[in-house]
Amino acid sequence: MKQFERRDFLKASAAAALAGSGTLGAVGRALAADPIQFFAWSAGVDQVKSHISAFEAKTGLKVAYGNAPWAQYRDTLITKFVGKAPLDVLWVSDSWLPEWAEAGWLAPIDGYPELLKYNADVDDFSTKSMIWKGKQYGLTYYTDYMAFFYDEEMLKKAGFSAPPNTWDEVVQQSLKIKQAKLSEYPLMLSMARETWLIEFLSSIVFSHGGRFVDDAGVAVMQDKKKGAHEALTWIVNAVNKHKIVSPACVEIGELNGLKAFTSGQHAFAMLGRYRVRTLNDPKQSSIAGRAKQGMMPAGPNGKNATVGWNRFYGLTTPAAKDKAKAADAVKFIEWFGGKADGKYTFQKLMFMDVGAGFAVKPLFQDPDIIKTYAQYSDMKMYEKQQALAQKKDVVSPWFGEWDEVNGTAWQAAVVGKSSVDDALKRSADTWNKLRKRA
Amino acid sequence: MSARAGALRGVFGAPVSRYDQASALWLLAPMLAVLLVVAVFPVVYSFWISLFDLKLTRPHRVPFVWFENYAEIFQDELFWSSVWRTISFTVMSVAAIMAIALAMALLLNEEFRGRRFLSAMLLVPWAIPYVANGLMWKWIYDSGYGALNGILLQLDFIDKYMVWLGDSRKTLALIANAFVWKEVPLATILLLVGLKSIPADLYSAARVDGANTWRRFVHITLPALRPSFMLVVIYETMMAIRHFDLFFILTEGGPAEASHVLAWHVYVETFRKLSFGTGSALAYIIALVTFLLAFWLIRTLGRKL
Repeated sequence: MKQFERRDFLKASAAAALAGSGTLGAVGRALAADPIQFFAWSAGVDQVKSHISAFEAKTGLKVAYGNAPWAQYRDTLITKFVGKAPLDVLWVSDSWLPEWAEAGWLAPIDGYPELLKYNADVDDFSTKSMIWKGKQYGLTYYTDYMAFFYDEEMLKKAGFSAPPNTWDEVVQQSLKIKQAKLSEYPLMLSMARETWLIEFLSSIVFSHGGRFVDDAGVAVMQDKKKGAHEALTWIVNAVNKHKIVSPACVEIGELNGLKAFTSGQHAFAMLGRYRVRTLNDPKQSSIAGRAKQGMMPAGPNGKNATVGWNRFYGLTTPAAKDKAKAADAVKFIEWFGGKADGKYTFQKLMFMDVGAGFAVKPLFQDPDIIKTYAQYSDMKMYEKQQALAQKKDVVSPWFGEWDEVNGTAWQAAVVGKSSVDDALKRSADTWNKLRKRA
Repeated sequence: MSARAGALRGVFGAPVSRYDQASALWLLAPMLAVLLVVAVFPVVYSFWISLFDLKLTRPHRVPFVWFENYAEIFQDELFWSSVWRTISFTVMSVAAIMAIALAMALLLNEEFRGRRFLSAMLLVPWAIPYVANGLMWKWIYDSGYGALNGILLQLDFIDKYMVWLGDSRKTLALIANAFVWKEVPLATILLLVGLKSIPADLYSAARVDGANTWRRFVHITLPALRPSFMLVVIYETMMAIRHFDLFFILTEGGPAEASHVLAWHVYVETFRKLSFGTGSALAYIIALVTFLLAFWLIRTLGRKL
C-alpha cells in the first residue's frame, strides 16, 4: 500500500478544508490531483494549447504545459532531468532518444498496448526512430524528411523538361544552367555547422545507397564501397571541380539556404519537405508556383532514398513508476500521438496550420489534407519519397559528441583542408573510439 | 580597551583597538559570506569537478579520475591547435587595437573642428552589445547579400561576390576585425585619459629645447602613456583570449576548425558535449594561462615602456 506522505496529507487537508467550507469544489479537486507535467519546445504553441484544452475538457485531467526554444531544449531538459524537476510527458527528438533512454530518463511504452496499436498506421522508418535496444519509447506527432526541390521554370529555360533523377544528372543539368548564365551555383547546399547538417549529409549518403554505420553499429563511413565515400567525393567535386555549389556552403545554414532558394538564385535545393509551403507562398518566395519537389537523386548504387526524422511524445521514468500518473500520461500521449475521439486530430491540426509532416498513413487519404497540400505541392510525390525515407543510422548515446567531429571533418574536405579519405577516417575513428568508451 | 604596541594601525597611523577589529569583522561578515558563496565556492567546486569524469548525460557513472582530464586535454591535438588559433587571434587583435586606438587618441587630443562629434561617434561601436555587433558583422560578411561584397563590387575591387567567413584562410582575420571594431573605442578613451594627464609644460620645455614632433612623441608622450598603455594591453589581451560571442555568432568554430579557439573549445566540451569534468579542467587551464600572461605582461611592459 502506498505510504501517505506529508505532502499528500497537506494537500488532502487543504482540499477538505475548502470542500468543508463549501467553497470551490472544483479547486478542491484540482489540489487533490497533480496535473500532468508536459514539456515541449516552443513550436505550434497555439495548436498544442488548444488540443490540451480539448483533452482537459474530455478527461477532467489537468495539464501543466511548459516549453523552451528548440536551440536550448536538449540542455534545458537534461538539466531538468538531473535536477529531478517534475516531468511526465515531453517532446523528444529521435536524435536524443538513445542518450535519454540510456540515462534512464525515458521509459519504454511497450507495456501499453493502447499506444502500440497505432504502429500499424505509422510509416516503418518513423516507428524505428522511436525504438532503442528493442524497446519503443513514444508515439510520433511529427515526422518529415529531407526533400529535393527544383525551380521548374529555370529548368525549362535551360531546356530540361524533367528534374534530375541521379546525382550525375544533377551535375549535367547544373553545368548547362551555369553555361546559360541562369545561376552561378545551381545547387543550394547548406553545410554550416548546425543540427541540420547531419540530416543533409545522411540524405546524400543514403541516396548513394550508403551508410555511416552498419547494423551492428560499427563505422563503415570510411569504406570506399559503402556510399559515404562516394557521397562526400560528390560534394567535394560539386564545390571545387564543377563549381555548381557555392564554396560558401560551409557558412550557409538551413534557413539562409531557404532564403537563397526562395530568392531565385538556385535551380536545385535540398530542404526539409515541409518547406514546400514557404517555397510556394507568393508572400515569402519569389519562385512561388515554380518550386517543385523531385525524388532525391540517386547515386550509382543508390535508390532515391533520403533521411527521415521523427519527433514524438515520450514518457518519463518517474511518471512510468507511478501507476496512477502513468495511466494519465498514457491517455495524454494517446490524445496527441494517437487518435483523439477516433481521429488523428493533432497531426492533422499541425499539418493544416503549420505544415508539419506526419507519419500516420491514413492522413495521406484525408480529403482536407489532399486539398490543402494541392495548393502548393504534389501529395503523391510527398508519399512516394516518404516511403523511401530511412532513419538516421548514427543516432546513439554518443551521437552529439560524434556529430561535432563528423560535421567538422566533412567541412574540412569541402574547403580543401583534408582529403575525403582523411575526413572519413577521422570521423570513423572518432565513432569507434566513442563506441568503445561507451 | 587600549591598543597594544605592534597591533594593527588605521589609515592615519593610529592604533586600531580589538573592539574596532571585531566590529570591522562583523560588518564585513555578510559581504564575506556572499563572496564565499558566489565566488570562492564555485571556484573551488569547479576544480573539484575537474577531477571527475562528469558527463550530465551519464548521471549514473561519475568516476573520480584525478588529473586524467588535464592529461587528456594536453594530449588532444585540437586543444593545441585551438591554443595557436587563440594566440593568432589575440596578437592580431591587440596589435590592431593598440595601433588604431593610439592614433585615434592622438587625433582626439588635438583641437580641431568636429572633434566633439568625432568623439561621440567613436562611442557607437562600444555602445552596441556584442551579440548585436556579431549579427551586424554576419550580415556584412554574408557571401550572398553582404554589404562588404556590395561595396567592393560597386568600387570595382572585385568582379563577383566573394566568400568571406566560409573561406578558412580569412575567417580568423575577419572575426578579429569585428572584435577590433568593437574594442577600439574603450582603448581610445583610456589612452586619451592618459594623454590628457600629461602636463603641457613638458611639451613647452621640449619645444624650447628644440625637440621636433617625433622626439616629443618618443620622449614625452610614450613614456607618460606607459601606465595607460599597459592597462589597455593587459585588458584587451584578456578580452581577446576569453572572447566567445563573435565566434559563436559568426562561425560556430568553423568552417572546418578555422575559428575553433580556446573559448569555443570550452563551450563545446561543457555545453554541447555536456562534459563538465573536461570543461572545468579546460576553464582552469585558461584561467591559469591568462593569469600567467597578465603577470608576464605587467613585469615586461612595466619595465620596458
